[in-house]
Amino acid sequence: MKTDKAIAVDVLIVGASLAASAAAKRLVDAGLDVVALERRTLPRDKVCSGILSPRGHRFLVENFGPLPEETLHNPVSCRGVTFHFPSMISIPMDFDGGPTPHLHRKFSDYWTITQSGVTIHDNTTFLELEDTGKGVLIRARKEGREIRYTARFVIGADGPRSAVTKALYPDYQKSIPWFMVGQKFQKIIACPLDSDYFHFWFHPGLGHYTWSHERNAQQIVGVGFPAGGNLHTMHANVEKYLEEKHGVKLEPAERLEGCTHNFGPSLINRYIFGKGNVLITGQAAGFFNMLAEGMSCALHSGAIAGEAIVEAMQRNRPVQEVYRTLIASEVRRCTDQWNPVKIIFGNPHEADFKTAFGKLSRKEKVTVIRDLVDFLKIYAPYNWGRQILSQSCIRLLRGEYPSNRWL
Amino acid sequence: MIETNVIKDKAAQANGLWNRVGDQTNPSRWNGEKWRSFVDHLNSRGVIVHEALPDVSVFVSDAGGLALGMPHGIVRPFSADEIAEVLKAAQIYAVPVTTRGGGLTTEGESVAFGGLLLDMSSMNRVLAVDPVNLTVRTEAGIYWHQLAETLRQDGLDYLSAPLNLTSSVGGTLGVGGIDINSPRLGCSADQCLALKVVTPTGEIIECSTTENSALMERVLLGYGQFGVIVEATLKIRLFTPIIMKYFYYSSLRTAMEDLKYIAHEDAADYSGILTIMDRAINLLVAFDSDEREKEFNLRWRRHLRGYGEASFGLRMAGYYLLHPWKFREAAYLIGRRLTLFPEFWKPEYMHKGKIVDRTVVFSRAVWKFWGGRKMVIPDLAASEEKFIEAVERGNQVCRKYFRHYTLYCVGIKLFNSRERYEMSCIPPDAGDIAFGCEFEPMLRDTDYSRDYLQSFKNEIYDIGVDMGLSYYRFGGMMKGYIRKAFGDDLVDKHLALKQQADPAMILNRDVIF
Repeated sequence: MKTDKAIAVDVLIVGASLAASAAAKRLVDAGLDVVALERRTLPRDKVCSGILSPRGHRFLVENFGPLPEETLHNPVSCRGVTFHFPSMISIPMDFDGGPTPHLHRKFSDYWTITQSGVTIHDNTTFLELEDTGKGVLIRARKEGREIRYTARFVIGADGPRSAVTKALYPDYQKSIPWFMVGQKFQKIIACPLDSDYFHFWFHPGLGHYTWSHERNAQQIVGVGFPAGGNLHTMHANVEKYLEEKHGVKLEPAERLEGCTHNFGPSLINRYIFGKGNVLITGQAAGFFNMLAEGMSCALHSGAIAGEAIVEAMQRNRPVQEVYRTLIASEVRRCTDQWNPVKIIFGNPHEADFKTAFGKLSRKEKVTVIRDLVDFLKIYAPYNWGRQILSQSCIRLLRGEYPSNRWL
Repeated sequence: MIETNVIKDKAAQANGLWNRVGDQTNPSRWNGEKWRSFVDHLNSRGVIVHEALPDVSVFVSDAGGLALGMPHGIVRPFSADEIAEVLKAAQIYAVPVTTRGGGLTTEGESVAFGGLLLDMSSMNRVLAVDPVNLTVRTEAGIYWHQLAETLRQDGLDYLSAPLNLTSSVGGTLGVGGIDINSPRLGCSADQCLALKVVTPTGEIIECSTTENSALMERVLLGYGQFGVIVEATLKIRLFTPIIMKYFYYSSLRTAMEDLKYIAHEDAADYSGILTIMDRAINLLVAFDSDEREKEFNLRWRRHLRGYGEASFGLRMAGYYLLHPWKFREAAYLIGRRLTLFPEFWKPEYMHKGKIVDRTVVFSRAVWKFWGGRKMVIPDLAASEEKFIEAVERGNQVCRKYFRHYTLYCVGIKLFNSRERYEMSCIPPDAGDIAFGCEFEPMLRDTDYSRDYLQSFKNEIYDIGVDMGLSYYRFGGMMKGYIRKAFGDDLVDKHLALKQQADPAMILNRDVIF
């Protein structure tokens, strides 16, 4: 391959998604020279429910402005979440602060990355990096041609299968459990599920993560399960259940999309933030809200990665030290969502489950708790329960999650 | 190739698809279009634009330290004519112009997100002091402490100014300015008698309450939207040392009730509340003369429910003995007491039990004990009726986010319903007096992400929206809240005025509109 002279930038961001956009925004605002690498041609599709949390919604508006129409699917907003249980008890909960947008990730991500003012090099695949201590040398490829960059810092914001993470920690991705998440799009014949809500099933017989919501006159039925399972079988099972139990009748699927997720690190405070002059952020770092909403923590953690670099440069401090200090608030926010102490005594989510739960009769409450326990049993093989409890206790005593578990 | 025109500029949110969550408070960087032509234009008229990185990068943030933005260039003007040239050219080339005095804003109001930054601190001369009529004419880029220094030479003093004193006169007049004598004298902007203003289209206009008064009312408390204040004539007074007294409370509500009582009765020349969390609440009162102090002691002191320091100390000792698990909090209170309070009676600033120069004492203490690399000071301004509830709700938010924080409450006297109060820091439903409270976490050396601090500020500001309050912030950045706080009709009325006065919308455009 023919190579040209290296392109020198202050910061190279790998990825052009929401985390990358937020990081870019902070860096560009501070007057730094920043390039974002994206392996595909922008705008690009992305597998995602598109249901954003209220916090993420606010971040988008405050940092990028009012959302253009093209960045939204129909229905354009989501009022909240409805939990469904095998006992056929359903609990609808509105989001705090009103409905949130139903993002069309292809265009919302494109909108944010262009709004950030970053220089975008799309169609460019990150290959490898070398941290020299004073900076980072990066190799990438565009249309068969090698491109080299030199940057003072690199941010890996390239999603769960992060190439930057792999470059830094070649064995990490083999060491964590992976989940396949797939969704099919089907025209609606009859659907009694309220289209204003995102629906989630705590049903061990359906999958580890089962959901449904309406998009552009189609119903999305999705299911998540340990990687290696068969999506079609799992999906057929869910579709049959929805028809039998909820009266959902759908035409055969017109489209299927799926991807793998690193669901797990945020539950047990096992984040991965990079080393030296390379920061990892967003879902690549392991941020995932409960119900697998990763967009809001991607935005916030990405912004913190950008802020950390600016801070490190302004104050001549080691960037990892700054990043790991600043990111603690996002770790608390994200991991608190799985923390039983916080769930029982606080309100770590952005929909008030406790109030909705409180409206149930005593018998229904007992049934829901029993259903929840049955559901959680399917996660037993991952040995997360003990870790969640120990991390919760430390959080209670110290007010923080321990940073020594972060990579 | 990146596709262009994929996203059109049609905002779904503005079409009312769901509840308004706010506006873009962190503006997009201006793209630099026609910047070079603009600079060439100014150079040809003798205006120097500094573009080197060391020149512009010092303005990357403000006192808040959270908002980041870099101007393309800066101008340090020395005359109104020079500013007029800048603004005329900016209208032609549509280049955003941000004015900055002391940079004491906390929400990025004095940060340029691209475009030109007018560093007004170059215009810092005191032009004339009139000791007979008690007025001073000064250039508006002067800091309050510089003005105080000049006035002291003639035994004179300004009336009211923000306690930090490194904010500029012009910046303060544009947003309010609160002192602990504001319950008697109103905000700093209300001390202004006349202004020289350069309008956004580059006209130089003298204005006062009798001459071009409409412009005067637009510019005072106008967030820098309707002109650059170049000179100001302010009321002044004879300098007097002050006598300070402190009352201590463990109940925030009781202290606030007493503060309201003092303001109502005009019982003191200065009054305010400073707290250490909601545990140790200090109501301070001060007097310009022995007579006023004597009158206070005779008529009003017995109505106050605060304790003296010794008895309050004993009560607190009792409380912490019964709550031994709060020993860290007790240690913090003691440490704060031992280090902070002596600042207010340092012998070099005292004479016969009076503080000789409150300017020095207060500004020293403010920067030493409340200042920091980042300053997060969201605030609420409320009518008298809503004040206590607003502070109590804000206090709960502080408790949720921070272990250590301070509340600073003060009254603001209003002078009838002046036009300048509309859509300003003055709450719309306030009567003769409004009250404000700043909620300030003690950040010191701790590192919080901007995101965490922003969440805290949002929760405080949301209280304002929920209760129909206003905000008397350092810089008055209300962009994210202005429509929620004041409603579309009022904001659109002011926006129309702004569009008329500033056709290219170039002057301080990201502050409120």
